[in-house]
Amino acid sequence: MLVRFWGTRGSLAVAQTAKTVRDKVAHALVTAGGRSFADDAAAKAFIDAELDFATSGTYGGATTCVEIDPAGEESAFIVCDMGSGLREFGIDAFRRMAEGHPRVFHFFLSHLHWDHIMGFPFFGPAFDPASRIIIHSGHPDAEQALRRQQEEISFPVPFDWLRAKIEFSTLEPGIPYAIEDLTVELMQQHHSHVSYGYRFTDSDGKVAVFSTDSEHKIERMDGEADVAFFFRDADLVVCDTMYSLADSVSMKEDWGHSSNIVAIDLCHEAAAKRLALFHHEPTYSDEDLQRMHRESIRYEELTREDNPLEVLCAYDGLEVRL
Amino acid sequence: MCTFLGGGMQADEDKESTMQWQDEQRGGAIVALPVGRVDEFTAQGFSAYLDASVDKAAGTPSKALIVDMAGLDYMSSRGLRSLTLAKRKADGAGVTITLAAPNGVMREILAISRYDKIFAVSDSIDDAL
Ligand SMILES: [Zn+2]
Ligand SMILES: [Zn+2]
Repeated sequence: MLVRFWGTRGSLAVAQTAKTVRDKVAHALVTAGGRSFADDAAAKAFIDAELDFATSGTYGGATTCVEIDPAGEESAFIVCDMGSGLREFGIDAFRRMAEGHPRVFHFFLSHLHWDHIMGFPFFGPAFDPASRIIIHSGHPDAEQALRRQQEEISFPVPFDWLRAKIEFSTLEPGIPYAIEDLTVELMQQHHSHVSYGYRFTDSDGKVAVFSTDSEHKIERMDGEADVAFFFRDADLVVCDTMYSLADSVSMKEDWGHSSNIVAIDLCHEAAAKRLALFHHEPTYSDEDLQRMHRESIRYEELTREDNPLEVLCAYDGLEVRL
Repeated sequence: MCTFLGGGMQADEDKESTMQWQDEQRGGAIVALPVGRVDEFTAQGFSAYLDASVDKAAGTPSKALIVDMAGLDYMSSRGLRSLTLAKRKADGAGVTITLAAPNGVMREILAISRYDKIFAVSDSIDDAL
């Protein structure tokens, strides 16, 4: 199983400014200290060895969209959420379909907030009459949400003009669904208009969990055993880690999001192997996210009891092979 | 002074995860001394003792609860969130909570969670009194 992150930002899409890029270039030049490089390969070797990610790259700014690629020849596309990262995925899907990939898409929606569906009107394959799109959701009103964002007041192209064959399927928690070569289960999460987490198990037994926009309320800590059970032994858990723990229990309580600290505790309890920090706060710079990533790794070390949990910080373009 | 075995309330015995609690009145404040670790197994007990100590502090002249952190190895998010629940109760009763003398690990955890921004943290009990 290969997990590709096409969009990792929460709430609002963001982009780097000219000033930010300039700061990165200046920092890189100072770090190079006057060295010269024979070619691009030598320069890239220097970048990989000596620059931190916040200088050499960016976490990106597209909103949530994560592809679960079971890597089977005949498998359909499996995609969690339709944030603005979906546009880029759609372009790549056309490339892969031209190489023979089946024109079938299974979407799994965490919920219907705008940052999680805003990419759909820009999803090229939805205009392709040869494509088949199945939209799975725990919400029975998913179709209403997608149609509404393409009403004339919001968007020039109505939903009914999409040429692909589009179907909606409402899933229920507690039932294992066999979809393509995957077993898919869902869990209801605490969030405005509720959200759902998804657990995907492939035929090799590899498990990826997608759990975004999920608040773990402090008055309900006894209920977290259910969440840990849902995450159990996962090879990768993608978790909403938008706020610091202090913010999530004070100023931003009831905003529907979680913290890096709670995500690590839950993954430890679940004996998960990898955690991807996800749904990044739009006001965070690359340096802020890198600091949060380093602190998360440190907290994991400090609180580890058994096997180590690898803590990744998701960025647009990250691929994780399970 | 009283001593409880914190983990006894819901501890998973295999994990041997325990937390003990003492509290006493000192200098007009309640000083509480939890010892051990606060994790998923002991957090509920930790929360119950904190709660009782807030009640005791509400009856003291200075309405202050000082949690002596020196005996805590570390605290997971469960413990931190228990502190928030206790703080809510304390705020309602006009009681202030100070976290005193955290060890190096606890200090890092308070910083990473940003709890050092929502709780008063002092280097020693004397500083907190
Ligand atoms: Zn969101
Ligand atoms: Zn949301």
